[in-house]
Amino acid sequence: MRQKSVYLACFILHFLLIITVSFRETLWLVARGLTIFPSSSKSYSAKAEKATFAARGHNLAASSALRQALATYLHLAGIERGYGYFAPNVPESYKLVLELHYPDGRVEYQLPRVNRAAAGLRVAGLLDEIGRTRYDPLREYMVRMLAYSTWRENPDVTMIRAVFGSISLPSISEFEHGKRESYEFLYAYDFSRIDKATELETP
Amino acid sequence: METWRERILQFLFPAGSNTWLAVLRLGLGLQIILYALSLENDWTYLFAGTGSGLVSRNLGEAILSLESPFVPRLGWLIALGEHVGLSEQTVLSIAWVSLLGTGCSLLAGLFCRSSAILAWFLHLCAAKSGAFVSYGVDNFMTIGLFYLMLSPLPDRYSLDWRLRKSRPKDSQVLGFWRRVVQLHLCVIYFFSGLTKCLGSGWWDGTNIWRALTRPPFSIVPLEILVRWKYFLPVLGISICLIETGYPVFIWLKKTRMIWLICVLGMHIAIGLTMGMYLFALIMIILNAAAFGPGVSGTESKGSAVARCRPASV
Repeated sequence: MRQKSVYLACFILHFLLIITVSFRETLWLVARGLTIFPSSSKSYSAKAEKATFAARGHNLAASSALRQALATYLHLAGIERGYGYFAPNVPESYKLVLELHYPDGRVEYQLPRVNRAAAGLRVAGLLDEIGRTRYDPLREYMVRMLAYSTWRENPDVTMIRAVFGSISLPSISEFEHGKRESYEFLYAYDFSRIDKATELETP
Repeated sequence: METWRERILQFLFPAGSNTWLAVLRLGLGLQIILYALSLENDWTYLFAGTGSGLVSRNLGEAILSLESPFVPRLGWLIALGEHVGLSEQTVLSIAWVSLLGTGCSLLAGLFCRSSAILAWFLHLCAAKSGAFVSYGVDNFMTIGLFYLMLSPLPDRYSLDWRLRKSRPKDSQVLGFWRRVVQLHLCVIYFFSGLTKCLGSGWWDGTNIWRALTRPPFSIVPLEILVRWKYFLPVLGISICLIETGYPVFIWLKKTRMIWLICVLGMHIAIGLTMGMYLFALIMIILNAAAFGPGVSGTESKGSAVARCRPASV
């Protein structure tokens, strides 16, 4: 009986964490007005979201042992994030075009390359991550890393212009009227040989 | 109050066959093998540190350390390798080969427990170090491997069971872990369905269109999709209903089989039309293990239960 009680206690704690994390994600979406709920529900959701934050120990100091223990457990069990894939709506997708400038004036265009489709899905996820980030230096750093990986394969290149944009998809009716996928410019970064040598540092 | 407690315990600790565990072990073994093979040529490129990777592993690990410095990562293995004079590339190659090896070992059912722990650890290291290049499949693989390594291995179809004569001691603990996987799937589908229901695009088929035309998932030609445009809202609403209704209808005897078929069908369709084969496979494995055995009432409970010692309560 004692063994069962231990299992039961662990079960309750484990599922409380799963449900808290899942609720938090749902409330986050409502609080930011991304759902069909009326805008009046935003403030309630924001308050509730804060409560779930507290339940995960996020109101504790970053060095708190309890907060770190909870975060570690969530990662070990794979329950650190919610399950709203492609929800409430399918997000935008992004594209990075690398403009390679050679010493003779030649310009070539490349996309970040991997060997297999499975890794291609991961690169698409990385571009989504870059597109979503609101912290400019982090975005620039990630784009720089992608440009640098292309540089290694093309050592003759003197400058790389990385153009990051979102892909605008046509709706069904737009597609029927002849509109096709388009590319909308968001950011552009120039990396020269000097940047390559001096600015790529470990974070 | 006592009756409620007993009912809850009865529900959470059913005595049952370990066929579900065999399905989970075999499925995850296969998943690990396919995962490793699919990344064979890109492994070092995806997980190398500054200087030779796609996007620095160090960046992902630095951000992970802000949350907790105790989450396993490839950086630990690389630092360990440096102590014995191994390069980063060698350590990454060893990690890849070891991961593939644990997949094969799980598939064969040899050293089940240690293989499950090693597979969970190595996959977790890769998923966390490559957080920027990880997606849903990594999340669900971690969940599956976490439960597998904690479950009472080996199962009766494994080589360990036949060769080493090792047996799990308690059939009710076996039932408990199956319940955990089942209930976790219910939470997953409920919240996945709920958040979809909250988006307008799932009710009019817009999101199905967007999901199927969004690069890199745009496998089906748009001309074909347009021909099925009146079917897309039905498909969107069906997905919302299947997912949100999962925690209820998967438990009812009359609807269990239908719901399981619908969910498996949904994941097969996702795999085929969006190219997310590994994601589809892990979801099929988790569902098949949790609700597959016994779904048609044909599971031979008795023989398996008899081989396990009853729980000492």
